[in-house]
Amino acid sequence: MAKYIIKRVLISIPVLIGVVFVIFFMLNVVPGDPVTLMMGEHIKPDLIEAFRERMGLDDPFIVQFFNYLKNALQGDFGMSYKLKREVSDLIFQAFPQTVKLTLSAAMVAWLIGIPSGIIAAVKQNTLIDRGFMTFSLMGVSMPVFWAGLLMQYVFAYKLGWLPVTGYKTWQSFIMPSIVLGWSSAGTIARLTRSNLLEIMKNDFIRTARAKGLRETTVVVGHALKNAMLPVVTMMAIQVSSLLGGAVMTESIFGIPGLGRVAVSAIGDRDMPLLQGTIIFTTMLIIAGNLIADLMYSVLDPRIRCE
Amino acid sequence: MQEALNVADYVDEQKFFCPQEEDIEAELLDDDSIWSSLKGMLKKNKLAAVSLAIIIIVIFMAVFAPWVAPYDPNFQDVENLRFAAPSVQHWLGCDELGRDVFSRLIFGSRVSLVIGLVPTIIAMTIGTVMGLMAGFLGKRVDFVIMRFADIVLAFPSLLLAMVVMYTLGASLINIFIALSIVKWAGTARIVRAQTLSLKEKEFVEAARSVGVKKWTIMTRHILPNCIPNLIVLFSLNIPDSIMSESSLSFLGIGAVPPSTSWGLMVYRGKQYLFNYPWLALAPGVAILIVVLAFNFLGDGVRDALDPYLKD
Amino acid sequence: MKRKYLALLLALVMGLSVLSGCGSETASAEGNKDEKISYDNIMRLGEVTEVDTCDGQMTTEYYDIPFMIFDRLVEATSVAEGKSDIIPGLAKSWEISPDGMVYTFKLQEGVKFHNGKDFTAEDVKYTFERMLLPETGAKNQDFISPIKGSQAMMDGTAKELEGLEIVDDYTVKMTLEAPFGAFLASLATPGVGIYDKETTMEAGTDFGLVAEKTVGTGPYYFKSWVLNDEKIILKNENYWRGAPALDGISWKTVADADTMRMMFESGELDVFDCDYAPTQIGYFMSNEKYKDNTVVGNRVGIYYYTFNQNIEPFGDVRVRKALQMAIDRQSILDNLFDGRGEVLSGIMPPGLVGYNPNLPEIKYDLEAAKALLAEAGYPDGFEMTITQSTDSPDTLSRNEMVQAQLAKIGVKVTIEQVDEATWYAVRADGLLPMYTTSWSADFNDPDNFLYTFFAPGNTNKRSFNFKNEELSNRVVAARAITDNDARMAEYQALEKAIIQDEAAWIPLFCKQHIFITSDRLKGFKVSWNGWTSTWHYYEGLHIEN
Repeated sequence: MAKYIIKRVLISIPVLIGVVFVIFFMLNVVPGDPVTLMMGEHIKPDLIEAFRERMGLDDPFIVQFFNYLKNALQGDFGMSYKLKREVSDLIFQAFPQTVKLTLSAAMVAWLIGIPSGIIAAVKQNTLIDRGFMTFSLMGVSMPVFWAGLLMQYVFAYKLGWLPVTGYKTWQSFIMPSIVLGWSSAGTIARLTRSNLLEIMKNDFIRTARAKGLRETTVVVGHALKNAMLPVVTMMAIQVSSLLGGAVMTESIFGIPGLGRVAVSAIGDRDMPLLQGTIIFTTMLIIAGNLIADLMYSVLDPRIRCE
Repeated sequence: MQEALNVADYVDEQKFFCPQEEDIEAELLDDDSIWSSLKGMLKKNKLAAVSLAIIIIVIFMAVFAPWVAPYDPNFQDVENLRFAAPSVQHWLGCDELGRDVFSRLIFGSRVSLVIGLVPTIIAMTIGTVMGLMAGFLGKRVDFVIMRFADIVLAFPSLLLAMVVMYTLGASLINIFIALSIVKWAGTARIVRAQTLSLKEKEFVEAARSVGVKKWTIMTRHILPNCIPNLIVLFSLNIPDSIMSESSLSFLGIGAVPPSTSWGLMVYRGKQYLFNYPWLALAPGVAILIVVLAFNFLGDGVRDALDPYLKD
Repeated sequence: MKRKYLALLLALVMGLSVLSGCGSETASAEGNKDEKISYDNIMRLGEVTEVDTCDGQMTTEYYDIPFMIFDRLVEATSVAEGKSDIIPGLAKSWEISPDGMVYTFKLQEGVKFHNGKDFTAEDVKYTFERMLLPETGAKNQDFISPIKGSQAMMDGTAKELEGLEIVDDYTVKMTLEAPFGAFLASLATPGVGIYDKETTMEAGTDFGLVAEKTVGTGPYYFKSWVLNDEKIILKNENYWRGAPALDGISWKTVADADTMRMMFESGELDVFDCDYAPTQIGYFMSNEKYKDNTVVGNRVGIYYYTFNQNIEPFGDVRVRKALQMAIDRQSILDNLFDGRGEVLSGIMPPGLVGYNPNLPEIKYDLEAAKALLAEAGYPDGFEMTITQSTDSPDTLSRNEMVQAQLAKIGVKVTIEQVDEATWYAVRADGLLPMYTTSWSADFNDPDNFLYTFFAPGNTNKRSFNFKNEELSNRVVAARAITDNDARMAEYQALEKAIIQDEAAWIPLFCKQHIFITSDRLKGFKVSWNGWTSTWHYYEGLHIEN
């Protein structure tokens, strides 16, 4: 067991370095000199040179990369070009909002996805099955920004039940969580449904039925328990993919989280900020996946066979 | 964006990580059986059948857009038709420059469908080759390819696509590149897992023992057995690409006119949501219907091919 | 089996506690920062993009807060419809030498900065020198660069500003390099707010970024700034002109214009700027709920298209004239801006001193345009590119209209979209093809228009590449004309020569700036130049709940 964990952790390290490398490489081959953008038009060429030297911008690419990596590991992602603040501070400020959104969206995803999957499986190939699957898949099929806009229009603008945007009250998290959560409910519903269907084919279910147990007892008591194992891992993976999905949701609902920061960094060509937020988010996801894998291996020893 | 469909997650991973030993009987799959199970599925699963019909209609409209569209999508009649409400002449009304929304929707479907198809084909071709090589050649090749895949899969796909678009700039070709980069790894991982399990099968061992070339084994013996999986992946990757495009357009780093896309139409229409809602509703509903149709079809295909996916 | 469930449970609990720990920590941090500010008497505004800094020297885009927390030596204010004047600010009076070279300012005495420090001449000197020192990286040097010795400072060869002399604690003398008729007006621009020497030096790079450290003498002080969320300024009880009636002003950073509108209509904001929904002004103006709450101001500004004379065929004046005549400006104004504005044929908009109401009109005339194109050797038109940044649907609509209009004379337009930063970078290199945007007055003088676009160097930086050097040099020379009437006459002559004879740009129109306010907000005024940012958020503005 310990060996597996160590191996799994060790494998994440090159991935992590690779992630930093890929982002660093892509963002540093961008045309246009960021320094000029940052320092304005009046600045004299020799001052720009001095600045470049101080920031190490003239070093060979690989040296720059390792410097960046070294600093990043110590939590120093450099300085935002536009906002002129430490990127790590900006990330730290934004992070809690994203976590809140992601977790509440995950709740919504599970609340929609798991029951839909169960009901759809029990009523397989009936109208109810199709209805529930359609409902949970609709979330996957709507652009998040479009769904968000419509919800704002109906619930905030027309009905006035909820605030249009914001993040300070729990009410303001309702719409973003539903929009984001719904968008991954479909995946969960699918998995729950297919797993449950598979389990229901097994002998022990037939035995349970033969014993005259009620259908609900069979499904909930016997089948569900076994079907949920992969779904649980899926939940963990889902949390990390929600982290990525938060980008659009935060932009629509004005939540000052990591996604919002990344999107505005794109608009401002704020390279260090974009770099920092993406690397940080990806690091979170790698960590999340690692935990999910480890959790799964605790639950199901067979996984360690590879 | 939502991770619209994280295909790699969806196709039940543990099956690939831990191949079950019991099902050895698989020999070369023959195409006829795949086709017949797909046909059977369409008969049983009405939703999938309807979805397929919708997709065919949309593809037809896109291909024959100049004949199907009632008006020139770029023709402006700003004096008379600005914000014209839906009517018999203009089914979905007109936009802020007096252009027919329905015609623009039809022409926009070209961009959206092309973006659905092209990156998916490129990404899956790359992914399949990589997966085959990693799985079959093993060792260092495997290690290198799969670490690359791990890196790509570690990113939230929208963020990675954003960075690529940021680097390359907004254009149609760059969207193809961005989405291909983002998507190949999922396919690679699944193909590799299947290759690994097939490699141990008797018919492969047999081929190897009589000295059949590696390349021939990969393409003639292993690849055909991956086809059911690839079909499923294909049908689920297309809507994913369409959604990604709409998100990128919304962020202002997607397709650029004159080739308008549905994502772009929503983006431009949203400011008129209050007074002229059809401008944002029509393209949004179009995306919803097409993506939903692809998803249902994909689900149906997956159910139908389930027996073949077991390897 | 049981052990496994236990492990799972444990993992879940641990995960949740870590996460909820995060949550509660930040919640309390926010709680402290907020101190429960009541919005009862605070004007709530919105803005779409987060700003980079509230240091007026360091930005050319964002002046809302710099206007309110700092005072300038002089202020610009509208005195009558379409007229503005310079009134005393931190300088209570001034004298200008007859040759227009020396300005002597008497400063207000007894004025204190928000942190209680006294305002003196030393602060003026510090503020001006800070702007010019290269290591500051300021962006608004142009407004004070007429002062003698400023070039040396910008070059890094001088540490002090030669032309600025402290006579005593409350008297400052400024000597110019050459007479500059618009000097006083340019001191009223928001980039030239006065900072406290000690505090600003201490704050270093935090100045303009950290609310507590960004200190001025203005009617409000900077209370808090939560990035991508909200900025709050609160009233300065000891303001030397008297404390404002509002308790403060807040700016919410919102996702986009549509969100802003929803927030306004659902009562979360007090002002909606119709620039964010230009095609729907009609809806607001005729809506029962809003029609009594509209505030209309004239914008001293102009929308235009450019010509890049380095790109063929725009080197040919006949082609430029043809395009000027082929664009139906009235139709663009009517259809995209609800007709609220006025078609223009020059560069100086109404409301600017020197505006020429008698300038001949550039007529919309397709036949004449075609004839000119044929004469220039393009009877069947030509292909050209208009470049814009990707994230502006309104600009796209305008470009698409022009695209359709120019097609009528055979000119085939390709609309190219690039991201904003690239757009600016390419433009600065003088390589941007035709583009459209607008310009509004920073200060009330024609110099702010003609010099910005057609002075040597400037014309390349904005991708005009205007080739008539004689006219460019006259634009510079006009600055030094001391007789005001003669100067205005020269500007009007230049306007006619550059815009109409040389056809160096395509004027479109000026447009009104319309705001809708909430029922409770009273006394909202539009500033003299029609900007959203204004120091008028001080005067007469109040809330009746």
